Amino acid sequence: MTNAAAGTGRPLATGRRGAGGYGPMLGVLVLLAGWELAGQLLTEAFVLAAPSEVALYLVRDWQLMSRALGVTLGNAAAGFVIGNVAAVALAGVALLWPRSERVITGLALLVFCLPLVATGPILRVFFGPGPGPQIALAALAVYYTTLIPLLVGLRAAPDSWFDLVRSYGRGPMSALVHVRAMAALPYLFTGLQIAAPAAFLGAMVGEFTGAERGMGVLTVRAIRALDVEMTWGLATVATAVAILAYVGIGALARRVLLEAPPVILAAPAVATGRRLGGWIDTGLVILLALGGWAGAIWAFGLNPFFAKGPGDVLDALVFAPDAAATRATIGAALAESAVYLIPGYIAGLLAGAALAILLILVPAVASTAMPLAIALRSVPIVTTAPLIVLLLGRGAVGTIFLVAVMVFFPSFVACLQGLRQAPGQVMAVFDSYAAGPLARLVRVRIPAMLPAFFAAARMAVPASVLALTVAEWLATGSGIGSLMALSASLSDYDMLWSSVVLVSALSALGYVLVGAVERRVLAIYAPEQLA
Amino acid sequence: MAHDVTPPPEVVCTSLAKTFAGGTEAVRPIDLTFAAGRTTALVGPSGCGKSTLLRMVAGLENPSAGRIEIGGAPPRATLRRAGLSVAFQDPSLLPWRSVRGNIELALTLARRKAGASEIDQLIDLVGLDGFAETRPAELSGGMRQRAAIARALATRPGLLLLDEPFGAVDELTRRQLAQDLPRIWEARGTTTILVTHSVSEAVLLSDRVIVLSPRPAEIVADIPVDLPRPRPEDAARTEAAGALIDRVFAELSKGMAASNPPLAAQ
Ligand SMILES: Nc1ncnc2c1ncn2[C@@H]1O[C@H](COP(=O)(O)OP(=O)(O)OP(=O)(O)O)[C@@H](O)[C@H]1O
Ligand SMILES: [Mg+2]
Repeated sequence: MTNAAAGTGRPLATGRRGAGGYGPMLGVLVLLAGWELAGQLLTEAFVLAAPSEVALYLVRDWQLMSRALGVTLGNAAAGFVIGNVAAVALAGVALLWPRSERVITGLALLVFCLPLVATGPILRVFFGPGPGPQIALAALAVYYTTLIPLLVGLRAAPDSWFDLVRSYGRGPMSALVHVRAMAALPYLFTGLQIAAPAAFLGAMVGEFTGAERGMGVLTVRAIRALDVEMTWGLATVATAVAILAYVGIGALARRVLLEAPPVILAAPAVATGRRLGGWIDTGLVILLALGGWAGAIWAFGLNPFFAKGPGDVLDALVFAPDAAATRATIGAALAESAVYLIPGYIAGLLAGAALAILLILVPAVASTAMPLAIALRSVPIVTTAPLIVLLLGRGAVGTIFLVAVMVFFPSFVACLQGLRQAPGQVMAVFDSYAAGPLARLVRVRIPAMLPAFFAAARMAVPASVLALTVAEWLATGSGIGSLMALSASLSDYDMLWSSVVLVSALSALGYVLVGAVERRVLAIYAPEQLA
Repeated sequence: MAHDVTPPPEVVCTSLAKTFAGGTEAVRPIDLTFAAGRTTALVGPSGCGKSTLLRMVAGLENPSAGRIEIGGAPPRATLRRAGLSVAFQDPSLLPWRSVRGNIELALTLARRKAGASEIDQLIDLVGLDGFAETRPAELSGGMRQRAAIARALATRPGLLLLDEPFGAVDELTRRQLAQDLPRIWEARGTTTILVTHSVSEAVLLSDRVIVLSPRPAEIVADIPVDLPRPRPEDAARTEAAGALIDRVFAELSKGMAASNPPLAAQ
């Protein structure tokens, strides 16, 4: 490997593609074999179906399955298009009017933090029967993961490229067409690649509540009937769709782009805290959110029985005679959930980072594990929630494990990517001092990993809340997810809206808190990231 | 071949100065006229403000005092006509375009047309024949700089601004370019401003060498180069050239000494 090659980062790309051939295939085979073995051995436990049994089920019931799959795919595709168009439009506004960027991303984050499971029933009442809520949830599941990389991508071009455009007397429009749009393309694909499986997941979650057809409907039915083979069959199909969507968009990206799309999980943390502008923006975000919420109810003339505005929620939580009881109920449910959420979140993050660090010390394994992990990251873990609960029980272990798995993959992929991106020149300097692998790991690679780790940690906050609430909603019957399910079925809309508001606010707060820790840590270990 | 050439403008800087927002004073008020159709070399220590001066002439940086006139008009007017080209210190080629693609982009931006054969000729001229369809990532640093030079020439600018265009080019290729490029800008009669770190290159390529002091840049010496053209490769070894090179060196170190005595004392 020559120095010139190392400088352009080409070996990384070609290496990844080269290893992408057989490694993942082998990994999948090992996974399947282990699953089959466990399925056969644990057949008494009734909760694990072996691949052969799942295959048999799918062959037997393929008509039912393919009809459901078609419906869900259609909803997911519609949501995918709507969500991504919205993301591109929002990115365009942020670009044309930079001052608005933080407000846009703040609002977008808040909406992204809505607990999808509870948004479903609310949208159901709004849209009535039909695919409306499924499509809306699919769109809600994707727009943020596209918006954030796109915003990064639109600013990813170095100043000198814009100088070039200006030196020929052309303005921002030419810069957009010839430089920004092209430079942002890889980032757009990164977003789309994550969005495709997410749209499928969103559509399924939308089908959990009150749809007539689709994979989500079957999933709910399978769980209620404790049909183990059907549950596993559905999860397998959902997983296959997710991986195919991810790989398909990746393949398209490789045809269009020069190199594999970059791995980005979240925008770099923006320093808001101390500056007045940050507080003003935050206030603006909250005001706009409340205004949009009240305005939508008013504009659509929604029935006040189910459409609760900011005032109603405030009333229910503070002024109503039973406000104390409502607060106590929600508080207890939140506490119950936190007991699962926080350990699962931390365990998933640390396990992802630890495995990535271990693997980087054995580069051959790392290059094999990477494509597999990236593909697995796209698996709609949430659809496997019922399985994990089936496997590990309704107690703490199963739920914590589920949250941890949800957090593990993004953390692992981001960390591995960060570790591998240690700047070649800095590594060369360490080589020249004959520093051992451990010294390099501690002094170069781990600091280089931190930004990716924290980006993953931030995005994992809403993701883990989603996983937990879905599990509680569908399976465990405890915590805030269950409370929301109960309120929805009892038409206790005050309780439902209050829960949704509190969960969103707490998720967003968690995101911001992780961002604050991130800034503290990066200020010490990677100050250049905060420039 | 000489169709559509923008007539070479005279560039006049009047009390031109630049202090950056952070308080860094990069250029002290400078009065300087770059003659139409001639080549002027700027030499000076690293970080003294050469690129800043060039960027102000190119209209990419606003002066904090003084003014620039290109052919009697402010830089913006020249920019609007796409009347100038810059070969940046960092080649800034777009990675998703081939060498030819990058050149074509410049033509598009400048709203000029050039035949495929003309582009090929330019690519040959900078020694990149066979690499027309290659993307920048697969070129060496020097090759990228040469592609940037070809791109700068492609739009047939009246004013050509070259910021250390040979920085990463190997010595032999540099010599070849030093032979070939002046032929083009002489044939076209381009006004050329060349920033370079190589004193011999400055002397060999230009009609005049301006020596700048360490930051903030001030004019230390203004040395006319009256060597006959064309200047063959061994022109640098003639007595007249040798004397000029020595003089530029002397002025450079005088400028250094004035601001940094201990280093010069060694
Ligand atoms: N955008 C900027 N903001 C603040 N300071 C700047 C900026 N650009 C350049 N400077 C400062 O101005 C001074 C002159 O920089 P300039 O790039 O003009 O130097 P130069 O003579 O071209 O150096 P070199 O030969 O190394 O390219 C330097 O001290 C630099 O740090
Ligand atoms: Mg410079």
